Amino acid sequence: MTPLEPIDEKPRPNFGARTSGVAAYLGMAVSELGDGTEPLAVLRGPFAAPAHITDADGRTPTGVLAALVDSIGGLASGIASMPDWIVTTNLTLRRSPGALSGQVGTGPLVLDTEVLRRGRSAVVTRTAVSSADGTPVATGWMTCAVLTPTGGPPPITRPIRPLLQEPVADPAFSTAPAEFFGLREGKAPGEVALDIIGRIRNPWGILHGGAMTVLADVAARSAVAGAPALEPTPGLVTADLITHYLSPGRVGPVVASAEVLGRRDREHLVRVIVRDHGADDRLLVESVVTVRHAG
Amino acid sequence: MRLLALEIERTVDGDVRGWLPVNEFTRVPSGGPGLAAVAMLVDALGGATALPAADPDWAITADLSIHLLPTGPIGELRADAHVRRRGRRTLVLDFDLLGDEAVPAGTATGSFTVVARPAHLVDVTFDTAGPRHLMIDPSPDGSDVLDRPYLEELGLVEHEPGVITIELRPEVSNNLSALHGAVHTAVMDAASASLGRPLLGPDAETSDVHLAFLNLARPGPMRAEAVAVGPPSPEGDRLTAEVRLVDADGRLCSYATTSVVTA
Repeated sequence: MTPLEPIDEKPRPNFGARTSGVAAYLGMAVSELGDGTEPLAVLRGPFAAPAHITDADGRTPTGVLAALVDSIGGLASGIASMPDWIVTTNLTLRRSPGALSGQVGTGPLVLDTEVLRRGRSAVVTRTAVSSADGTPVATGWMTCAVLTPTGGPPPITRPIRPLLQEPVADPAFSTAPAEFFGLREGKAPGEVALDIIGRIRNPWGILHGGAMTVLADVAARSAVAGAPALEPTPGLVTADLITHYLSPGRVGPVVASAEVLGRRDREHLVRVIVRDHGADDRLLVESVVTVRHAG
Repeated sequence: MRLLALEIERTVDGDVRGWLPVNEFTRVPSGGPGLAAVAMLVDALGGATALPAADPDWAITADLSIHLLPTGPIGELRADAHVRRRGRRTLVLDFDLLGDEAVPAGTATGSFTVVARPAHLVDVTFDTAGPRHLMIDPSPDGSDVLDRPYLEELGLVEHEPGVITIELRPEVSNNLSALHGAVHTAVMDAASASLGRPLLGPDAETSDVHLAFLNLARPGPMRAEAVAVGPPSPEGDRLTAEVRLVDADGRLCSYATTSVVTA
């Protein structure tokens, strides 16, 4: 959903952007399990894993998977917070190590989200990710802070049913994640940049939280590979990713810098810092990523 | 804290640094301290850093993550705390972990919710700058020296692979008579490693945790159950788990995801 502290003193949200932004790119058709009368929604999001998003094996990249968790977890948290709304403060995703290579965990996925706790100031949700045959692929959880947004929360009709939306004509919506999010190679391996273009802003005009997880994933693998960020990293997969959203990205360019902290056999522990160069290098995100040599 | 003989140093710039002695009772097969003991160091330093940063308000731990690297045998772990964000309602810290002042040992992060200071804590003041010293003085009779494995000392009981219980005793409680935050993490560590041993081998240890504190854990006993997220890696060196800790009333008090590895 949205990084921290975004809502006050800003333009009113444009919820129409949901049909032409990151949510439209991800294309997850979220439904509510139940009749929508319970205060806490249980959500299911089938993800078709289209070929332009997955790798050559059909595996959804971890950064995109985290963006999906952010999306469905944010919706469940927002519903739990009505008439207020939420911003994501942190998110964690761990992939099943048995689904990092080979055919396990490839292809379409299903995300199931439940609310673990709804407090006065925060909501915690858990999301299980499985393949179409029910094989566990990953697990994620996230914390959202409850805020009162200018202009009120998004219009929500329950029970939640998939949005009917027209295909987006913009060809960028059929490109790989690096192209859709507009990633650029930085000055050295482990450095990745992006500009905050319209399609990756959320309804409040701020850089979408999912863009941050994509950045962190790409930067971490690039640092471990010692290769330019947009080069393929065959055999390297991000196994775990924890992201703390510290400030909203508003200006850009946004730059992620990854530092390898150490190694355990097949795995590397990487810290990724994301800053907004256009906003006095404001710290946006701190992420800790485990990159594994798989297969 | 006293059992582990944690030490702390606070500089005039407000930086906070702490140390954990590593010995036969806190060490895991890969040579460094176990995640449970590291959690106590991080939690203690987190409090020592977050509370002054939140002053005049108060700070409550919302979540904690720890990521350990294999250090080989070391005698001491150092943690350096940094404030990454101080917002109106949220405080985020991170910690650099170092073995014997030179060996990278991992990293940790903690999020804190900033709340109005509770009435019974209005008079609490915080230490100013000071050199390295024990966080809690040892008991005069020497009875508080750790003389058996730390997890055993906490009173953890393994019932079956992945299932751990703990009685709520004063020694493992916080000032609200609920399970201490660092002990939550210790139970998660124990449940994860317990789950991992039959699957990965006897030297399985928890390398990674991200834990959400959901409710005060009381009354006891508490029960934690770890469940594998799919099978281990084909190489047999890694397992992902989810762990839920519930109190005697069945209420979910904390939730974590963990990674278990072979030493």
